[in-house]
Amino acid sequence: MGRKILTVDDSRTIRLIVTRAFKDYDIDMFEAQNGVEGLAVAARERPDLIILDYTMPLMDGYEMLTKLKSDPGLKSIPVIMLTAEAGRESVLKIAKQGVRDYLIKPFREEVIVERVSRIIDLKPKGEATLKARRYDDALQILVVDDKQAIIGQIGSGLKDTAWQIEGAASTALAMESCGRAVPDVVLISLSLPENGAYTLFQMMRAGARTKSVPVFGLCVKTAVEEQARAQQVGFSGIITKPIDFEDVKLKLTRALGLDTSYKYFSQKDGVLVLQLPPTFNPTVASDILLHLRNQVTGAVDAGLDKLVIDMSPLKTADITLIKLGLSSLQLCSELAVKSALIGSEAVTKECKNYEETKDLRFVTSHAEALSVLGVQPAVA
Amino acid sequence: MIDDLEDLLKAAVVEVFGTMIGLQVQLEPPHAPVVNTGATIAGAVGFIGRVTGVVYIYAPVELAVRLTEKLLHLSASEIEQKELVNDSMGELANMIVGHLKSRLSDRGLSCAMTIPSIVRGTNFQIEPVSSTIRRVFSFRSLEHQLVVEIMLRPESQA
Repeated sequence: MGRKILTVDDSRTIRLIVTRAFKDYDIDMFEAQNGVEGLAVAARERPDLIILDYTMPLMDGYEMLTKLKSDPGLKSIPVIMLTAEAGRESVLKIAKQGVRDYLIKPFREEVIVERVSRIIDLKPKGEATLKARRYDDALQILVVDDKQAIIGQIGSGLKDTAWQIEGAASTALAMESCGRAVPDVVLISLSLPENGAYTLFQMMRAGARTKSVPVFGLCVKTAVEEQARAQQVGFSGIITKPIDFEDVKLKLTRALGLDTSYKYFSQKDGVLVLQLPPTFNPTVASDILLHLRNQVTGAVDAGLDKLVIDMSPLKTADITLIKLGLSSLQLCSELAVKSALIGSEAVTKECKNYEETKDLRFVTSHAEALSVLGVQPAVA
Repeated sequence: MIDDLEDLLKAAVVEVFGTMIGLQVQLEPPHAPVVNTGATIAGAVGFIGRVTGVVYIYAPVELAVRLTEKLLHLSASEIEQKELVNDSMGELANMIVGHLKSRLSDRGLSCAMTIPSIVRGTNFQIEPVSSTIRRVFSFRSLEHQLVVEIMLRPESQA
C-alpha cells in the first residue's frame, strides 16, 4: 500500500501542483480546502504526512496545526508548512508549533519532493507502470555536452523517433532543466570540464525525483579508462562516438523498458501476426525475440492459437532470419500453436539451402496463410 | 521607501513567475502604455499593518489561461472551469504579495495578508482614492502585457 499525503490549501491550484509533484511516486494524495476539512480528513485517513498552507479561510494553518498537536491520535503526523509568508516572525511562530519543515511559495516541485523524501520514504510507482511506456511515446532525453554540435547530431540521429531532445551545455544548466521537468533519460559527455559528468551524476542520484533516471555516458570509443570509470561509478551505460544511432535506440529502449512489441505483433482475422520489417537485422531479431514468448502466450491466453509469420517484406534470407524463424516455429510447437509462413520468392528459395528449413512451406499472401490455417478471413 | 517597494515588487514578480511557471517576464520601460481592452482578469491581495495596501495583477484572459496551462501542465481543453483560471491568478497574486510581505516583515514592517480576490470584465479600471500612493508596472509575458499595480496608504510609509 502506498504512503498517504494530505495537502491542505484553499487554493485548488496549489493542491493540483502538490498532487502533480508526487505523480511518479506510490503515494495516495488527499486534499482539503481549509483547516476544518483538513482535520476531518486527517482523522479519517491518518496520512503519513500533511502539507499545510498557512493562510486559509475558516481555519488557518496555524490553528489547524495547534489542534493536530493537541490530538493524541494525530499529533505524531509530521507536518510541512507551505506558506507565502517567509518573514522571521512567521517562521519562528510556525517552528514553535513543531512543524518538521516549512516551504516558502513560490516553490519548485522538486524541492517539495526532496523535503518530503527526508521525512517519508518515497517509492517510485511500480515497475508495471513504468514498463507500459512505448517506443513511440514522446520521451524526454536530456543531452549534456558543452559541444553544441554533438547535441545537434543526436537530435538529427533520433529524428525518426518521437523522442524530444533537450540540450544543456553544463552541469548547472542540466540541473535547471531537470528542475523544470525530469527527463526520461540523460546522456552526459564524460569529457565535461572539472569532472562535470560525475558531479551531475551524483546530484541526480541524490535527488528524490531524479535518482531513478537512467544516465548514460558519452565518450569517444578509445576512451577506455573513462568508460571503465563511468561504469564503476554506476552509469547505466556508455554511448561511444562516432555514435551508432541504432545502438543508441536499442540501449535506451532496454534501459527504459520500452514496449516495442507493437512494431512487430498484431492481431488480424483472429490470428496473431508477426510482421518482420524491411529493415530486419540482428538488432531487430533480438528485439522480436524479447517479446516473442509473451506475445504468443498472451495470444493463446486470449484464445488465439494460430500465428502467421510474415517475412514478405524481406528480399533475402540470412542466418539471423533462419534462426528467428526456427525459434518461432519451435515455440509454436511447444505451445501447440499452428503456424504459417509468408515469404518472398527469394526468401523461399534461400531457405531451401538450409537443412533446417528446406522442408518449410511458404505462402505468398495473408489470405493464403489463413487458408493454410483453416481460418476464414473476417468480412470487411 | 517607495523606490525600495517598487524594486521589491518587481523582484517578487520575476521570482514568482520564474519559479512557479518557468517564465522570464520582461519589465517594460517606465510609462509604457497600459493596454486595457478586451476581457481582463485582475487578481488582488491586500496587506494591512505597519504597511497597508493592495497589489493587483492584471492579465488579458488569453494570457491568464496560458499562465494557468503552464502552471498546472494542462492543455486549454483540460481547463474546463474559469474558476481554475481565477484561482491560479489569485494564487500568483498571493505569492507575489507574500514575497513582498516577507521582505517588509524582515525590516520590522509587519503586516497581515488578505485572501486573494478576482475581478473579471472588459474595459474596466480600478481607481484609487486621491490620497493613495499608486505605482504601475507592466511586464511582457508570452507576447501579452501583464500589469502589476500597488496602492499604498500614505500614513503607512516609513
